[in-house]
Amino acid sequence: MAIILNGTTGITTPAVSSTGGVGVGSVVTFPDNSTQATAATGFGFKNRIINGAMVIDARNAGASVTPSSDAYTLDRWTTWTYAASKFSVQQNAGSVTPPTGFVNYLGITSTSAYSVPTGEGFAMMQKIEGYNMADLGWGAVGASSVTLSFWVRSSLTGTFGGALNNSAQTRSYPFSYAINSANTWEYKTVTIAGDTTGTWLTTNGAGILLKFGLGVGATLSGTAGTWAGANYASATGATSVVGTNGATFYITGVQLEKGSTATSFDYRPYGTELALCQRYYYQINGNSFVGTALYGMMGSGMVFTSTQADISIPLKVSMRSTPTISQSTTVIQVGGTLYSVTGIGDAGSTPNVVFARLSNAGPMTVGYGANFSSNNNTSGYFAASAEL
Amino acid sequence: MYTYKLMIIRGTEPSCVIRTTDGACIPFDPANTDYQTFKKDIAEGKPLQDADGNEMTAEAAQEFMRNLP
Repeated sequence: MAIILNGTTGITTPAVSSTGGVGVGSVVTFPDNSTQATAATGFGFKNRIINGAMVIDARNAGASVTPSSDAYTLDRWTTWTYAASKFSVQQNAGSVTPPTGFVNYLGITSTSAYSVPTGEGFAMMQKIEGYNMADLGWGAVGASSVTLSFWVRSSLTGTFGGALNNSAQTRSYPFSYAINSANTWEYKTVTIAGDTTGTWLTTNGAGILLKFGLGVGATLSGTAGTWAGANYASATGATSVVGTNGATFYITGVQLEKGSTATSFDYRPYGTELALCQRYYYQINGNSFVGTALYGMMGSGMVFTSTQADISIPLKVSMRSTPTISQSTTVIQVGGTLYSVTGIGDAGSTPNVVFARLSNAGPMTVGYGANFSSNNNTSGYFAASAEL
Repeated sequence: MYTYKLMIIRGTEPSCVIRTTDGACIPFDPANTDYQTFKKDIAEGKPLQDADGNEMTAEAAQEFMRNLP
């Protein structure tokens, strides 16, 4: 029996129509005639994928990259590669119009016609932290189903594939989906029964690995639609994107949610999405002006020895682990003198604050205050990485 | 292939490792995946330099690794 929620008259019951129209069955109808057939799957962190709308690109700011090995591209999205330089990745590659409601997408372009050997594979992957999927109860009886939904567009048509894995990649659920029309955005959904066996991390390690196959060899492909105690990255027989030179594969609106129904994409505030990304990767670029020069401030501290300065850089959110730190084309400023940074070390960082020891040729005066900034350029950066 | 060099910040014991291919500094945090990769690489016999830049023998590298978290 249907219940109609009317903004003027309140709830009216029953509202049954023999014609099959609005309000029939178990559908809840709202005053704007929108309906909801199933219970909502939660309003807090419904989408377990971070940066599913491909909005954040801290590393490359929209530039194209051609990974030579596994490498993070748009935030939270890493390549899974067995051979170097078979495809490029770029936010909004090809500048096509994204699906309605989206501004960005992750674009893959094949750089050759590569025949994938049986034991190789290529994919775009997101690793979901264990804390963010612990409630699914995977690895035990009663494991919750999840539903994957996404928008995809390719220059190729046919059956494509992907997979869910545990962190050890000893459990796999290959899935497949059809792309029916070339160069056309299509919306896909896949419902996956929860895995009742296997080991699924529920801590700050990798909980679920989600892969979208771009060309996966036979031994890394399995039967779609069933769990297997093996390492599969895609469904058997899936189309290889890297097999066609110039082929494109664009994806956005990726959502993985609890339950067996795909619901609308979980749009989160930009600041929220950025903060979620910064738990795994935080980059400060040297693009803030000081007068007419680009000495964007990154941190401050003091001179420790004549060739070393200890710099504190508070992190905006607690990172997943103590981060790996790196820098490029930066300087230490002591008084009015600039010292080019030649190396970076960890002087006692935590997941909440980086304490870096920066090396340079010196000589600096011990005990003086020191600032850490870009070296009058836009490419200078400091990065902290705690990726899965 | 990554190569690694130990780094001493305080005292005499290394407190982090530099990935020499890109200069990144990796903390000795078991949850850090770069650190996990470092341990795996050294266990597989890849070279490790001490803080002075001298390549450690395989035995010395393995002995050092045994004392890491």
